[in-house]
Amino acid sequence: MTSLWLAWRTTKRYRVRAVLAVVGVAVIGALLFDMLLLSRGLLASFADLLNSGGFDVRIVGSEGMPIVRLPIAGSTRLANELRALPEVRDVVLIRIERATLWSNERTSRPVTLVGTTQASGGPYTIVRGDDLPRDSSFDRCPILVSRHLAASLGVEPGSSVKISVNPDGVRSALPAVSCRVTGVVNFFFASAGENSVATTMTALQQALSVPAFAPDASAGEPGVDADLILAASQPATGPAAAVRAIHRVRPDLRAYSNEDVVALFNQNGFAYFRQISFVLSSLTTVFAFLLVATLLTVSVNQRLGEIAALRALGISRGRIASILLWESALLVGGGALLALPLGGLLALGLDHLLRQMPGLPERLHFFVFQWRAVATHAALFGVTAAAAAAYPMWLTARLPIAATLRREVVG
Amino acid sequence: MSRWFRVTAIALLSAAALAHASDSPVDAQAPGVLLSRQLAARAHVSIGDTVTFAADPEGTRRVTLRVAGIYEPTPDPMRFTAQRLEAHLHLPDLVALVADGADPAAREAVDAINVKLTDPGDAARFGAELAARAPGVAVTPTSRARDDDPFAVLDRFHVAISAVTVIGATAFLLALMVIRAEERRDTVAILRLIGISRRSLLAAVAIEGLLIAVVGAIFGVLTAFAAEGLVNRVFQARYDTALVFLRVTPSIALRSVAIALPLGVAAGIGASWPLLRGEILSLFRR
Repeated sequence: MTSLWLAWRTTKRYRVRAVLAVVGVAVIGALLFDMLLLSRGLLASFADLLNSGGFDVRIVGSEGMPIVRLPIAGSTRLANELRALPEVRDVVLIRIERATLWSNERTSRPVTLVGTTQASGGPYTIVRGDDLPRDSSFDRCPILVSRHLAASLGVEPGSSVKISVNPDGVRSALPAVSCRVTGVVNFFFASAGENSVATTMTALQQALSVPAFAPDASAGEPGVDADLILAASQPATGPAAAVRAIHRVRPDLRAYSNEDVVALFNQNGFAYFRQISFVLSSLTTVFAFLLVATLLTVSVNQRLGEIAALRALGISRGRIASILLWESALLVGGGALLALPLGGLLALGLDHLLRQMPGLPERLHFFVFQWRAVATHAALFGVTAAAAAAYPMWLTARLPIAATLRREVVG
Repeated sequence: MSRWFRVTAIALLSAAALAHASDSPVDAQAPGVLLSRQLAARAHVSIGDTVTFAADPEGTRRVTLRVAGIYEPTPDPMRFTAQRLEAHLHLPDLVALVADGADPAAREAVDAINVKLTDPGDAARFGAELAARAPGVAVTPTSRARDDDPFAVLDRFHVAISAVTVIGATAFLLALMVIRAEERRDTVAILRLIGISRRSLLAAVAIEGLLIAVVGAIFGVLTAFAAEGLVNRVFQARYDTALVFLRVTPSIALRSVAIALPLGVAAGIGASWPLLRGEILSLFRR
């Protein structure tokens, strides 16, 4: 009869306490698993979100990645210079403005208006209708609207709307321009209830009455100044080389690879979740250790006579220790295995809860499955099982056989 | 020796700034400026020193100010990881430093105006009226609605985690109480054999569970109080902030005790219930 089999028989004999121990470990393990998912989940999700657009370098006019961006002077000329760089494959200009969208004379919504030079395949998925046209000569103001906005205004592809832009720092109301909805989309970076609209840079220029706001116009260049430029690096050279090349062209600007942005986010925005993940992972591991160590110790104390009898029959110290180690492994292992599906379900609930934070992109998740988290979970519980069995094993190893039998039997 | 820092000049703009401790005697006529504790420490300046602020890295537009005081920035949980290199200037001093001389309207421009309403309940009406009178002006209440508050979401997240922990702890407690009940199987059998009623034994078990829960809850609350200072000191030092990260309030302590007590009693009764409910002979395995 192997040690594992003996341990299994003992666990079955005390099944109520064993089930409760497994349930306790499973619940605590689920929390530990979730904290491990949280420890890098938001970062992984954020990186996935950044990479989803196909651009791996972001260029802004100010330090860091501020919410309020400064327009980049000479954007159109800069875009042409960047396209000529051997390290850069593609460049897209983006300008974001606050605006009001009118579906008719009475119904309007405040919207976030994104102007882009990217003709198709932007950071969105098309739900209905078509993408922005490559050639805007036939359609002066094509727009894509978010699903939420389309539902709230009852607009569909083909609908005509009016948009008036409300640029920061401009006190006079700009005239509204007529636009046509070409598609209804889910924007990757928009929050659940956000009213977002994307259009071509040409249309945004028209809506902004560009001559008043485009420093480039005097230089004979069309276009408004972008407040974000996205660049795709050549696969052969990579984003780091593209960032260095961009710095050489315009040292006054800040260029960040997606990895840099994620690192900045990890350093600043993610600090709270990293800390809570670390603290709760440590606490849950200690809690699981205490739970199993206490149960095993109390259980061994109850069975001292039985263990002394087994020793008297000739079963070695090592065998007894091995049985206890297997008992610990069965309790912890059973709980840890149950913890994975339980933790998955709990993660869904907690993720839903945290995603109610205002302003978060709809596609961003806090809990993201990673095999690394499963491996860490297994390693932590392996160590916990061994540590929890250590004291009961030591207790039985130094057990005086005759004295214990006499005390237990006579007592 | 001069040291350069990028400083946020409060309320108006983020400006590139030069701060250097002057070796010259204090210029009592220079306008005063307040520096954040973090900035003063980094720049090695103290009250009475003169410092120079510039609106551009080249220092072409600059102003010399006297450090009138050093302040602790109001802790902001939304920005606790940010380095608070900040300075408070009088509005005219900052406008004189940064305003574009070619633009006469620049001296009248500010980034934000804080308004205290006579009746805070009028915030929505005031916002709508101002937006109608001054198109392009964004009016934002300083108090957040509960649904729009990220800390309300975090609060719910913490409650959810606490609930999971309570479930795990309950299973742990129940397992221990089951072991304890099995240990006393013979004792309970004898007590029932000599005529002690089930109700009395049940009361004894409930009181025992209650006492264990009380001791456990008090220990937990004391541990939390002890950890409060330690956690705050560690994180305050880590992020160089006065923000209080952990606060064990009496209501939180009471809530913990209020949850622990019924759980302790229920675990005690639940674990002993098979012994109290069964036939006496079955307790002797007959």
